[in-house]
Amino acid sequence: MSDGVVVGLFESVEKAALGGDALRALPLPEERITSISSFPLPDGAVSRDTRPIRFPRVTLLGWFLGALAGLALALATYLLYPLITGGKTIISVPPTLIVTYEVAMLGALIGTVAAGFREMGLFRFRRKLVHDPRIQEGKILVCAAVAPGDQARRAIDALSAAGGIDVRFEEGEV
Amino acid sequence: MSGDHLARTDATALFHELTRSNLPATRRWYLVVGLLALVVLWGLGCFVYMMKAGMGVTGLNRPVMWGVFIATFVFWIGLSHSGTLISAILRLTNATWRAPILRGAEAMTAFTLMVGGLFPLIHIGRNWRFYYMIPYPNSRELWPNLRSPLMWDAVAINTYLLGSLTFLYFGMIPDLAIARDHATGWRKRFYTVLALGFRGTHNEWRRYHVASTIFAILIIPVAVSVHSIVGWDFAMAKVPGWHSTIFAPYFVTGAIFSGIAGVVLVMAALRKAFRLEKTLTTVQFENLGKLLCMMSLLWGYFYFAEFLTVWYNRNPEEWEVFRSYGGHYLPLWLSMFVCNFAIPFPMLCMRRVRRSIPALCTASFLVVVGMYAERILIVVPSLARRNDPFIWNNYFPTWVELSILASAVAMFLLLYIVFAKLFPIVAVSDVQERLFQATDRAVGGTTVESLARPEAHGEGGRG
Repeated sequence: MSDGVVVGLFESVEKAALGGDALRALPLPEERITSISSFPLPDGAVSRDTRPIRFPRVTLLGWFLGALAGLALALATYLLYPLITGGKTIISVPPTLIVTYEVAMLGALIGTVAAGFREMGLFRFRRKLVHDPRIQEGKILVCAAVAPGDQARRAIDALSAAGGIDVRFEEGEV
Repeated sequence: MSGDHLARTDATALFHELTRSNLPATRRWYLVVGLLALVVLWGLGCFVYMMKAGMGVTGLNRPVMWGVFIATFVFWIGLSHSGTLISAILRLTNATWRAPILRGAEAMTAFTLMVGGLFPLIHIGRNWRFYYMIPYPNSRELWPNLRSPLMWDAVAINTYLLGSLTFLYFGMIPDLAIARDHATGWRKRFYTVLALGFRGTHNEWRRYHVASTIFAILIIPVAVSVHSIVGWDFAMAKVPGWHSTIFAPYFVTGAIFSGIAGVVLVMAALRKAFRLEKTLTTVQFENLGKLLCMMSLLWGYFYFAEFLTVWYNRNPEEWEVFRSYGGHYLPLWLSMFVCNFAIPFPMLCMRRVRRSIPALCTASFLVVVGMYAERILIVVPSLARRNDPFIWNNYFPTWVELSILASAVAMFLLLYIVFAKLFPIVAVSDVQERLFQATDRAVGGTTVESLARPEAHGEGGRG
């Protein structure tokens, strides 16, 4: 991986898109370029997300684990504390389905949020991550992970030529 | 288009406009919070008194062993359906007008669930033993009976509460990051921790959208199941008036109906209190009015379907319950019918009413009152006219129950007001996204709003 990040602040999405194009023309691979904004931009507007989104699988896994937990809770209840009622079975299917369903959905929800947090790369409080609060004024930050030296210089020149303001090299990660 | 279009506001001004509720607390705010806290404390005192003196201080007596506590529980759980469910549906259908109401509606769900979930615990008697409902190995040889619909309730409500809180929090993360970058002092530290390091990178946004969509897909069946189970609390019992196959969908319909009315009232209060006229426009209220109108009709249909089968069948036990609606419970029945259908439905059919916020609030308030009357009518008459006529009895709540009821309303308002003070009550990033997509476009002699949107989130863009 690279040792630092070149960042450039742009006044608008259109100008930021020119900055993204300039970085790609260097050439820098797509996965090294990203944008930071206070609202979501369409994929490809400034940068393109090349990493596959895999966490829906964790949702499914959470659902299955939840279903197993719900089923285990219901079955263990019936078997460990049997409720003997004349003419009725010890294990009752419809309540088992309801409990299993609810715990399965809970598992899926927890799986989604846990995997979502992980894939979004949150909780990295101790790492130095590039950021500029001026994005909250409607500006767009275009970032590229580069090696210091020649590549960084060329990226700075490209972003400045594309209309970037306050273009700089920062130690840290995207 | 009106001249005060939000798109003409710059991002900083927009943030300050949408987070006006987060300004430092005024003396009036403290006064309101203090008053509400007093009412909550009064209710807490009544609850402690009820615990010490026993359930005899309530109006509950044979055969009516479920009264306002259970009716209120059903009512609050119903109200909770508004927020998360509506928010999820609007997210999934990509309704363009949704952005300003999402947060307020989701917060409403969380707080109504918190308040509503207390009522079964208040109702059970010997409340200090509530933990008997929690399944853990113990020396008592007692274990929750999962065949009981009340245990299904416990499982479902906990799932929904956890899901709704997570949905609320997850949806708030981008706005917490925005608030962090604007804040100073203790608020900056507070938002920094809660924003979890969200910065708004393209990758973060993409994953945030996918997770939000999955969340919305998951929370809808959970919401439906919760109120179905609340309906089954009644329908599983062989009690006349309760034992009905229609109860689950009927309860879900009633829940969404009262929930939308609740959202309208909360939105109108937020709009007035925090001067959100530019954000919460008549568009949002008119659309909510349309939904409310449709739900009024649907509720009427369900009620008629339920009534028709009992009327035609004339099963004596069930018919006695329905006859009591025309006798002792006539005022309640009339309140329900008039407030849920006879007045709101024709009112909401009129565009003028839907576009008038005071008129829409009147209709919504009537619906909330009507739905509470309906909940009482479901719970009480069926027990009061249960089986043997020699044990028939009527029920009226005592001051203890009414105090706890008032305290619950105060608790909801208190939680909401404190939440609005600490967190952005309008989804700032959603509003910004919508404004980014919208432009004013001249068409002939008029100007219309034109929306530019990728076909699916995260797709499209420049090829």
